[in-house]
Amino acid sequence: MHQSSIQRPAISFLAGVAAAVALIWITPASGQTRAKSDEWPSYNADLAGSRYRPLDQINASNFGKLEVAWRFKTDSIGNRPEYKLEGTPLMVNGVVYATAGSRRAAVALDAGTGELLWVHGEHEGERGASAPRQLSGRGLAYWTDGKEERIFYITPGFRLIGLDAKTGALIPSFGKGGVVDLKLDDDQTISAWNDKGEWVPDLVHGEIGIQSAPVVAKDTILVGAAFREGMTPKSMRNNKGFARGFDARTGKRLWIFHTIPMKGEYGYDTWENGSADYTGNTGVWSQITVDEQLGLVYLPVESPTGDYYGGHRPGNNLFGESLVAVDLKTGQRKWHYQLVHHPLWDMDISSAPLLADINVDGKPVKAVAVPTKQGFLYVFDRVTGKPVWPIEERPVEKGNVPGEWYSPTQPFPTKPPAYSRNGVTPDVLIDFTPELHDQALTNVSKFKIGPVFTPPAESNVNGPYSTLTLGTAAGGTNWPGGSYDPETHNVYVFACNACLVPIGVVPAPKEVSDMKYVMGMAGQKVQIARGPGENAGADSPRASRAPAAPAAPPPAAERGPNIYALLGVKGLPLIKPPYGTISAINLDKGEILWQAAHGDTPDSIRNNPALKGLNIPKTGQSDYNVGTLVTKTLVIAGDGQITTTPEHPRGAMLRAYDKSTGQQVGAVWMPAPQTGSPMTYMLNGKQYIIVAVSGGAYSGEYIAFSLPGAE
Amino acid sequence: MKVKTTIVALVACTIIGVHYSTLRAQSSRSVWDGVYTEEQAKQGQGLYNEKCSSCHGDTLMGGESAPALAGGEFLSNWNGLTLGDLFERIRTTMPQNRPGSVARPANAQILAYMLSANQFPAGKTELSQQTEVLKEIKIDAQKPNPK
Repeated sequence: MHQSSIQRPAISFLAGVAAAVALIWITPASGQTRAKSDEWPSYNADLAGSRYRPLDQINASNFGKLEVAWRFKTDSIGNRPEYKLEGTPLMVNGVVYATAGSRRAAVALDAGTGELLWVHGEHEGERGASAPRQLSGRGLAYWTDGKEERIFYITPGFRLIGLDAKTGALIPSFGKGGVVDLKLDDDQTISAWNDKGEWVPDLVHGEIGIQSAPVVAKDTILVGAAFREGMTPKSMRNNKGFARGFDARTGKRLWIFHTIPMKGEYGYDTWENGSADYTGNTGVWSQITVDEQLGLVYLPVESPTGDYYGGHRPGNNLFGESLVAVDLKTGQRKWHYQLVHHPLWDMDISSAPLLADINVDGKPVKAVAVPTKQGFLYVFDRVTGKPVWPIEERPVEKGNVPGEWYSPTQPFPTKPPAYSRNGVTPDVLIDFTPELHDQALTNVSKFKIGPVFTPPAESNVNGPYSTLTLGTAAGGTNWPGGSYDPETHNVYVFACNACLVPIGVVPAPKEVSDMKYVMGMAGQKVQIARGPGENAGADSPRASRAPAAPAAPPPAAERGPNIYALLGVKGLPLIKPPYGTISAINLDKGEILWQAAHGDTPDSIRNNPALKGLNIPKTGQSDYNVGTLVTKTLVIAGDGQITTTPEHPRGAMLRAYDKSTGQQVGAVWMPAPQTGSPMTYMLNGKQYIIVAVSGGAYSGEYIAFSLPGAE
Repeated sequence: MKVKTTIVALVACTIIGVHYSTLRAQSSRSVWDGVYTEEQAKQGQGLYNEKCSSCHGDTLMGGESAPALAGGEFLSNWNGLTLGDLFERIRTTMPQNRPGSVARPANAQILAYMLSANQFPAGKTELSQQTEVLKEIKIDAQKPNPK
């Protein structure tokens, strides 16, 4: 067994005196019970996942006057800049905490000025370099018992770090010297394939990690797991993504929940031919939500190994793509609901469950609502797991990929209606003009299309090239999830309405995988799908710059059909607008109240010669990195794309909508698209909004906005 | 003596003036001014197929987790920036499986191919491999009106 190769000691220093504690608060009985409405103590504002704060200094009358209060550039937090900053910071006691940079360090900043108070980064060498989820991650967790304050975060190399929130120093009494190795004590031996093709224990290269923020509830740290992109897995065998709870004081493991059941456990028989024994993945990579009063943890579980081919895991595959409620103290399963049987579309459960106390037909219901890639908002009684409105098992199309196992039915919520497109049918194709629509019909004729749950096609050079899908791998609603407003009982959620994903499978070449099929296009070499950030973290070696010998372009015949060229028509998207929306969905009634196209009409559409003379309403933008913030009166979210318009120079806008109507009431310019979801807090009588921006030539930056005025 | 000084001063002014106007001319160059050669783009296509196409697609139209490098959305994103900005992003972070492994001349060839795929005209001068020089060439998504 290799040892964990921590090449250098952790860097940790106090860069300044921690900000003075300006706010008075009452000592809580245990961590996370505090609920100060002017702070942001957890990734999603609170453990209910709301992304809501009842603040109103920034409102419809002044949103457009927002100014940059301070900014924190993350380039130096790691040995190379990062262009994909996805974090949402925390704010507690006048200090902003965040993960940042290609190193994924934890930083503490003065919440009023942005001054760096401390930074803590871990050098993980080969273990960090081979991590499946690199770069800065989405955030961290704060905990206090009223005396001590701690910050917890998880490194790319999958180690849970406990820091003193005041100094950034490792806490010696937590784990081993402030570190819990998450590749250990996992009811499995984390393994990797060696050079001889053997599956062997390997803590350095063994594939498992996470990019989301840990969560602390009642002194228990909750940790999920993530893996590489699963479209072209090397093997049907992989490590499993179990969920665990750890003691916030000692780092000791308190419990584990087997997202893939072990022999003898409930659900094992939903994996035929013993496939639960070798199938992996099935992690909890999105944010975890907790109801401390009920003592329940809500786990959104992802797909099992093989995103698009499940022939090696016949059966429904519990708890793949299921919402599972487990006991906060023991990890024992209380209830579960599988949203997708035998997953084949990479739908995962991509978003944090939202806890909502609602009134349905005059009766109070403690509910949990789950936004999804497939555009359904699934709503359950969170005590019992019973659907608030019926979820019907309806027959779905059976595919014909050799060796695949198909579920004859899938669950369909009857309420609320789907809030984004989840199938490709002629009525969603571009229709600015009849000619454009006809061309779109011609383009899709080479694909298999259909409604939600249309099965993946085996790719054929003569067609179908693949199944053309909406509401699958990209979503719909992806990792940013939604917001919940406890005042109006509305969910606010962004969704991509035009993120096309072609899903085709081809026989897997032996050198690529031991699976029968992986994602691919007939006639083309199978390309290993890599996730964003792989090999881009600070531990990845900087390659030597050897001059490359130019290679001759392969003949067109060997390249196979270029399917991506068919996904547009004359420089326009194949799918008609709106390309991206924010929806307000009322949970008392199960109805969509309003939908707003989110984002400027892209330049390529506004300036397209094929549309000259046509009046095109605001289209919104295709994107899957947009998260929302809800305040007393506003829903706030930034554009996911850069535009240059008559109204503003090159940039992206942070927008505010009236939360009751969906009307845009203000916007403020940003130098780059929103890539991490916004948060807000009050400090010394001033409201701030922080948003992470990055992309293209713009490296990661946290920007804090506030209103002009006397300090 | 006085005359001599004046002449020196005049010559200096002229030199500075010429240099200044050269700089001005350079800073107003854009991707529409024939800033790469066809040969360079052809070499770049081979390199692109080897280094980039597995993620960005063989005709630069993007893939599962990589954006398109040609077309409207790509040009919107880079409109108003310079080729130096784009060159540095490619040079320091790509290809994703071995960032920084491609040398400057090869990166310039790949960039030339991307310009050609985006329908910008070729010219007689090779695209520079120097970032500072490339920062003087602006990316304009829209073709400027003839003057």
